[in-house]
Amino acid sequence: MRGIIITLALSAATLLISGCGTAAHRIDASSNNGLTTVDDINFKDWQIAAEKGITSLLSSGALNRKDGRKTILMISTIKNSTTQHINTRILTDKIRQAVLRSGKALTTTAVGGKGADDRASKQVRDLENDDMFNQSTVQQAGTAIAPDMSLAGEIVQQKTTSGRMRESYFFIHMTLTDLKTGLAMWEDNVEIVKQEKTPLMGW
Amino acid sequence: MKHVLLIAASCIMLCACQSTVNTVENKDKNMQRNSVDTSKISTDSFLKRRLKIERIDKVEQPDGLLKIQVTAQNLRYGFWDQIGTWFMGDNPYQITYRFSWLDKNGMEVKTATNTWIPMSVMPGDTVRIMGISPNPRCKDFLLAIRENIKERQ
Repeated sequence: MRGIIITLALSAATLLISGCGTAAHRIDASSNNGLTTVDDINFKDWQIAAEKGITSLLSSGALNRKDGRKTILMISTIKNSTTQHINTRILTDKIRQAVLRSGKALTTTAVGGKGADDRASKQVRDLENDDMFNQSTVQQAGTAIAPDMSLAGEIVQQKTTSGRMRESYFFIHMTLTDLKTGLAMWEDNVEIVKQEKTPLMGW
Repeated sequence: MKHVLLIAASCIMLCACQSTVNTVENKDKNMQRNSVDTSKISTDSFLKRRLKIERIDKVEQPDGLLKIQVTAQNLRYGFWDQIGTWFMGDNPYQITYRFSWLDKNGMEVKTATNTWIPMSVMPGDTVRIMGISPNPRCKDFLLAIRENIKERQ
């Protein structure tokens, strides 16, 4: 009898534990249903930072030129000054796309803060004097357009703990520099603060 | 009678703990606004009672981009409303918004982000929600606002 009770109790416990899980499922990437963790920059944080950065950049008119020509923008580096391993490309790619879509500027992939985004521009010029290729179709030296402006930034994280409360403050700073003068034509930052209260025990 | 007094005292104490926003501003305004006539569809009666859309202003920038500013106020202040906000845990009130942009043919213009942006609104406070069109082809807009239940405390 005792064995049956123990078996039943174990089965009930197993059922209860397995009932707590959720099957893997997709969520809408634009929704607020993603996971929120204090220590990391979650996908929603990137989206918010990009949206606010884009709104500020396009409102500023800093990309407009007096000569009517479109600004050529290069994406420099977003320095990661946090303790986390983060890929800032999510932010820079969204800004790059928004700038392109606005029609105010063109972005170059031939040069970037960490080298060329697309090394093909350089590689195709190495085909000069290669017998395999019709030389009249090879891209000539001196035809690529150099950038006028550069987008750079830094992400800083500050952690605070008080009792059971934990907090992370992310400061995402962005700068647009005129490469001719070295002057910053636009600067802005996005602040994200996340808090959690850790449970007294367990999970 | 004793219980009634106790409950009333508790309510007053709770209200004293609530923080609402008090404002002061210049009376004679210098700004020249370009208001937009609005067409609203409210599907959430709770949101409608809490957040009042006061006005919508539009500016077309010299580069052709459309800049929109929506001014809204959190109406949940006053004795009963503050008890309500304390009970519902919506102080500050958490909302989330998203702009959609339409071209001259009414077709939606995709943006690079197109995401819901969270925002806190203190009782009595007036907030301004800003949006800028992704390109000069955009002629109209639509702002969607909803409660951000996930961020509720």
